[in-house]
Amino acid sequence: MRITARIYRFDPACDSEPHYDTCTVDVEEGARVLHLLHAAHERDPTLSYRYCCGTGQCGSCALRVDGTPVLACMEEARDGITIEPLNLPIKKDLVIDMQPALSRLAGILSQSEQRPPTREEVEAIKPLRECIECLACVSVCPAMEVAEFTGPTAMRQQMRLTLDPRDHADRITEAIRDGLFTCTTCQNCWKVCPKNIQIPGKAIEKLRALANRKGLTLPRHREVEQLIQETGRSIPRGKSTFLEQVPEVIEPDGEPRKTVGFFVGCMYDFRLPESALDAIEVLRRNGIRVIIPHEQVCCGSPLIRTGQLQFLDHLQRRNIQAFTSRGIDTVVTMCAGCGSTLKNDYRTPFVVKDITEILTELGIEKPARLPLRVAYHDPCHALRGQGLREPARILLKDVVEMIEVPQKCCGAGGGTRSGCPEVSSALGKKRAEELAKTGADVIVSCCPFCEYHIAGFADRPVKNITTILRQAYRRKDLGACPEQ
Amino acid sequence: MRADDVISCHVLVIGSGGAGARAAIEAQKYGDTVLISKSVVGKGGCTPMAEGGYNAVLRAGDSCVLHEEDTLRGGAYLNDPDLVQVLVRESPERFRELLEWGALFDISSDNFPAQRSFGGQRFPRTCYAGDRSGHEMMLTLLEHLRNSDVKILQEMAVLELLKEGDAVIGTVAMDARSGEMTVIRADCTVLATGGGTRMYDISTNSATGTGDGYALGYRAGATLIDMEMVQFHPTGAVYPYDVRGRLVTEAVRGEGGILLNAEDERFMARYDPQRMELSTRDVVARAIATEVEEGRGTSRKGVYLDVTHLPAKKIEERLPVMLEQFLKFGVDIRCEPMEVAPTAHHIMGGLQINPEGKTSLSGLCACGEVAGGVHGANRLGGNALAETQVFGKRAGESAGRAPSRQGRIDPLQLEAVENRVERFFSGTTPPWVVSRQLQKAMWENAGIFRTQIGLRDALKVTESLLDVPVCAVSSQNITECFTVRNMCLSASLVARSALLRPESRGAHVRSDVKQTWDAATSPYGHTWVSLASQGIMRQEVAG
Ligand SMILES: Cc1cc2nc3c(=O)[nH]c(=O)nc-3n(C[C@H](O)[C@H](O)[C@H](O)COP(=O)(O)OP(=O)(O)OC[C@H]3O[C@@H](n4cnc5c(N)ncnc54)[C@H](O)[C@@H]3O)c2cc1C
Ligand code: SF4
Ligand code: SF4
Ligand code: FES
Repeated sequence: MRITARIYRFDPACDSEPHYDTCTVDVEEGARVLHLLHAAHERDPTLSYRYCCGTGQCGSCALRVDGTPVLACMEEARDGITIEPLNLPIKKDLVIDMQPALSRLAGILSQSEQRPPTREEVEAIKPLRECIECLACVSVCPAMEVAEFTGPTAMRQQMRLTLDPRDHADRITEAIRDGLFTCTTCQNCWKVCPKNIQIPGKAIEKLRALANRKGLTLPRHREVEQLIQETGRSIPRGKSTFLEQVPEVIEPDGEPRKTVGFFVGCMYDFRLPESALDAIEVLRRNGIRVIIPHEQVCCGSPLIRTGQLQFLDHLQRRNIQAFTSRGIDTVVTMCAGCGSTLKNDYRTPFVVKDITEILTELGIEKPARLPLRVAYHDPCHALRGQGLREPARILLKDVVEMIEVPQKCCGAGGGTRSGCPEVSSALGKKRAEELAKTGADVIVSCCPFCEYHIAGFADRPVKNITTILRQAYRRKDLGACPEQ
Repeated sequence: MRADDVISCHVLVIGSGGAGARAAIEAQKYGDTVLISKSVVGKGGCTPMAEGGYNAVLRAGDSCVLHEEDTLRGGAYLNDPDLVQVLVRESPERFRELLEWGALFDISSDNFPAQRSFGGQRFPRTCYAGDRSGHEMMLTLLEHLRNSDVKILQEMAVLELLKEGDAVIGTVAMDARSGEMTVIRADCTVLATGGGTRMYDISTNSATGTGDGYALGYRAGATLIDMEMVQFHPTGAVYPYDVRGRLVTEAVRGEGGILLNAEDERFMARYDPQRMELSTRDVVARAIATEVEEGRGTSRKGVYLDVTHLPAKKIEERLPVMLEQFLKFGVDIRCEPMEVAPTAHHIMGGLQINPEGKTSLSGLCACGEVAGGVHGANRLGGNALAETQVFGKRAGESAGRAPSRQGRIDPLQLEAVENRVERFFSGTTPPWVVSRQLQKAMWENAGIFRTQIGLRDALKVTESLLDVPVCAVSSQNITECFTVRNMCLSASLVARSALLRPESRGAHVRSDVKQTWDAATSPYGHTWVSLASQGIMRQEVAG
């Protein structure tokens, strides 16, 4: 089998800049990227890459294929791929310096007086223990770029030690010192982890919950909890809320194609009601009957992400009840954070769908085209939290000129915006700059946290995807742009 | 480089696998300890790849005597009995120590370490952490090492042991990428470089399994025993081609996996009707090789290993690494059989040691797979991980207790190494050309079934490859050149030793020799090779 690949080359000792070698080699059927590199190395023995076990067990060989971190020894070699090192300090070519990150992993402090872990404890630690220290997660962590944060696998290790009765150090205090609250819960780390270790959910949020029990929750996070307890919402109300402006049932134009419940979320209800009204309008126009229970409250995401779980049950019950009591089988969210929470942290007797999902599934009336160039920002909690990449693109591509921008966390999530504003702002600023660099007229997203946060740093408008759609329908109605 | 450009320490440990890490942890109690490793520490060698488990007598009903008997019988009575005794007696202690240090082995419902059956053992005594037992052990040792004062030098290859008279006084090592050399002077050196079945075309070993330690020890004058004893693991993957040999853990059979030939026959019934799939590795490997040779294998020259009759949940829990690896290669073992064939797995022979881990050279200890004598002619699954801990600790302790010595570095020895480096730059044959020829020759002529003619051929090839002028293009190729030379030298020791043993014994099968004795009544003991001599020991035959 003949394969061509582009391989990143850089020798800091003599090159001022990296370059790419294109090389064509013959490999056996089923060859992995590692075997492609072996073949390339035979052609050019100066190529450096690291490997050892060849079977996905030692974590030596992580690198990027077409931008995504993978294990070279497990990833199948394909024609036309680009092979680059992990995004970490480079020693040479594909070899990164692992020491800084590895040296931040804590050792165990076991004492002679100890109790061995029970079977349950062992089973609880196991999922965190499968780490092969490949550093794929560390290479994609946005928080590490801007904060003093030891990173995902170091947090994984702290949680692993916390769960172990043999360890005698105060791992919670250490974790906080090491940046526990700077993580934006962007989910990047576990989506690239070859061992599928769910670090944000299984380590970071758990450590934050333990910090909460020790009274170490950040004061700003505690304020949020108090607000939720008092008002059912995680943010203070604005002039006029969304729920105050809408009736409980909104009938569509013509025969209803489907009936859905609508979960608005704190941000769209209290801070950005106009966007939610746009969303309702788009649903209505496309024959969707919308039921909006007015007793719905915060989904609880701000509590889960910050480890404040006492009040969560109450919120979950109330929200589920709000929809089931009305016999609703499909609930639509328009906030990526709420959607991800309802899908992943709730056990709902109904189906949850993001608005972009339901619109693409049912198909929408074709809107007019708008003369806009749009940079689309994928919210972490849509892209990774819900696996939603295509729906927004399908909806936008006929309406505007889409500019693809590599996904990156804007820094709004995980309680970072309230808890560690410097970290959150640093990321927001970076993200706004990257999006602006495209020269787009408008930045579009489908998450109120992202939209609001990026808007704070951007020099151009940031809009919700449904606002764009509604605008396109208006234009169509005015007949300004004939159908193509 | 000047000879006064040296790191000095009390104990130098070479290799960061299970044995090296354990030795360093022990040695540092006695003085400055340096751990040097060709790989990133904890990532190299075969320890992190070990899947099946760790043998230790822990439960009522089992006993050290039983473990000892199983080990000796499995080893075709070629094992060094003193070493076996130490192994079985201390393995439980070392295991408990790992637990104290944070290891997370599986726990059974009675809150006791879970143990599974492994081939050739009469009691289920193999402790495990799913099928990532070695990784678990390595992580535990790393967690412990991270809190210690051991100085770690990583991604540096040891090129040669340095000597003063008959004593080893340190090493010269090279940064694998920059090619920079470092001299390390030590009162005592512990060799823990692991095995070397990479010398075969089909092998389970990691990239560092190139037999460096055998070659280093041999060149320094140490005696090596039973180097012909190479274990072929019965179940290596056959697809994809580049991953051929990748281990399919014995735990698959331990959990109930069955072997079928292409005619859907459970053929082990013809080779070992009692123990069936859980017979010793040599028996199962020969059975599979015979099935394939006689035309009852699959088109990829393997047989089927099937677990589809087991509950999916059991496969997911007990064999997660296997499941994941095969899924990556397009086979869902919950509903399709695996295809397997024998693969070169473990070298039982190695540097001769006494129970203290001391080699025949003053100033040099050895432990783990690089040492010989513990497993005799065939290793039981689960005994190697135990060996790394038992003898790692012992070698670390011996080295720690070694007297301090002046140790004057001999400039001539350094010069000799530098000259070798220089010659690589004017070499003509790339190292991988050499290693490929070596691997094919060893697989064909020093593999599962051996003959004198074949072995002579293998020896000729290995020795002639030793003289091929291998070439380095840049500094990072130099260690590759040293490595391939080490592979050739170790392979020649295997071929030489195999020629010395005119009998079939354990893993060593001479298909051209008819013998009237079995393992228990063999007139032969260890083979040995050293710079000075070679031979095979004769022993009194009992009754
Ligand atoms: C796939 C596989 C599965 C196995 N499963 C089991 C099992 O379930 N149970 C069991 O008991 N045994 C098992 N074994 C055998 C067992 O894993 C090994 O025998 C054992 O781990 C060897 O440990 P070690 O410390 O001696 O060497 P290794 O773990 O191989 O470590 C060798 C070290 O030496 C270093 N090194 C090598 N050459 C040099 C040099 N020139 N300079 C510097 N450093 C060097 C390497 O970088 C590495 O760090 C398995 C083996 C394999 C290959
Ligand atoms: S969730 Fe995102 S910010 Fe948090 S540790 Fe993982 S990669 Fe870093
Ligand atoms: S957590 Fe996953 S990605 Fe991170 S180092 Fe461990 S194995 Fe690699
Ligand atoms: S080489 Fe060990 S994980 Fe890839």
